Amino acid sequence: MKNIFKTKLNTASLVLIPACIGINYLGKLFASVLKLPLWLDSIGTCIGGALGGPIIGAICGAANNLIYGFTTGDSITLVYALTSLGIGLVVGIMARLGKMEKVNGALLTSLAGGLAAVLISTPLNVIFWGGTTGNVWGDAVFAATQAANLPVVLGSFLDEVVVDVPDKIITVLIVFAILKGLPKKLTALYDVNDSVESLD
Amino acid sequence: MKSISLYVDKDTYLTRMHPFTKLCYILTAVVASLIAGKLWAFAIFIGISLVMLISGKIMKKVFPLIAFSFTILITIFLIHGLFNHENANLMFQLGPLKFYREGMMYALRISCNVLNMLLAFAVFVLTTKPAELVEDLEQAGFSPKIGYVISSVFQIVPQMSGTMNTIMDAQRSRGLETEGNLITRAKSFLPLISPVVMSSLINTRERAIALEIRGFEAGQKKTYLREGKMKTSDRVLCLVMAVVIAGAIVVRIVF
Repeated sequence: MKNIFKTKLNTASLVLIPACIGINYLGKLFASVLKLPLWLDSIGTCIGGALGGPIIGAICGAANNLIYGFTTGDSITLVYALTSLGIGLVVGIMARLGKMEKVNGALLTSLAGGLAAVLISTPLNVIFWGGTTGNVWGDAVFAATQAANLPVVLGSFLDEVVVDVPDKIITVLIVFAILKGLPKKLTALYDVNDSVESLD
Repeated sequence: MKSISLYVDKDTYLTRMHPFTKLCYILTAVVASLIAGKLWAFAIFIGISLVMLISGKIMKKVFPLIAFSFTILITIFLIHGLFNHENANLMFQLGPLKFYREGMMYALRISCNVLNMLLAFAVFVLTTKPAELVEDLEQAGFSPKIGYVISSVFQIVPQMSGTMNTIMDAQRSRGLETEGNLITRAKSFLPLISPVVMSSLINTRERAIALEIRGFEAGQKKTYLREGKMKTSDRVLCLVMAVVIAGAIVVRIVF
């Protein structure tokens, strides 16, 4: 078994991080320009995880939220740095296990990523927002569970599931489509299992 | 090109303050009010932030920041005012909707916390140049590689938004529909984003080569054009804030 967490911390990986953060930003921008009811702000994190491995994915995710939090004043984003970190880590691990090669594997990856996001976000939502997420559909679910006298944690959990899981499924499928189209000379930069062959 | 940073270029005492002092203030405002756990503690820090923002002449830029979070705060008031489990005492009634005191107090506490965080961050964000922050971090011993990652985000994002506009126009001129019902809009997402993502990922390879040629991996210690030392006033302020946090712990234990 190859080491899942093996990471190349060379210049290529370092350059990948800001590019991925930029892609996250673009995803969010396009989603708002097209008025889609999704966030789509973790495309870059997933690409980082799939190309560079779990460690780079985690760094991409955390750095994304930290940088935006500290420069655009969006301190709410800052809180979810942990969620992004989790998504990057999980997608990276799944990619290293070879799940991003086929569509079925990509679906599995997206479910794992969505689940990670839900598990990390739910406590954060409860602590900082009393359970709401700020997304219309999710909050409608939350309001319904509260009206039915269900516990806050369960309501918040369902709130997150409704919002995060479809979002992550679409995100990872987009990432899958993009990765399939990348040229080999680029993906080879991040291949950890390469070896130099001598002709002598 | 529009920068994503919100830094306002004004020469006030806030912009001259060392970035670390402002970071210290964020930490104090958030941690001390949470530790003290009293509504007046939140009010004090919100007040201090407001005074700083007004005296720094950047109050106008704060409103869009806060306006964004207001929709979320309103949903919190609605949901908890109407449905919180501890709701017992009726506060007021709007038609068929009954708002309860316990839920409203809970929502008020959350909103104070959020408002406090937003304002404390606004003080930092609106008065600190990202490039300066990166330089100060590097001088304080952070790896220049981390510094590179942070500062290059600020170069890459405006570049990418530029590419995004180009691609949007290009695809539209080929007949791609970007307006209409949800399915039409969703369908146009992939043709729009994939060219930008592809080109920016392919660019990373050239960027990596360019950096390596310029000695990015060299382990030599670098010198700085600007020496960002903490002034005496910065040190005093940091000390005061440490005292405030200690005071908050006392408040928590005693009261």
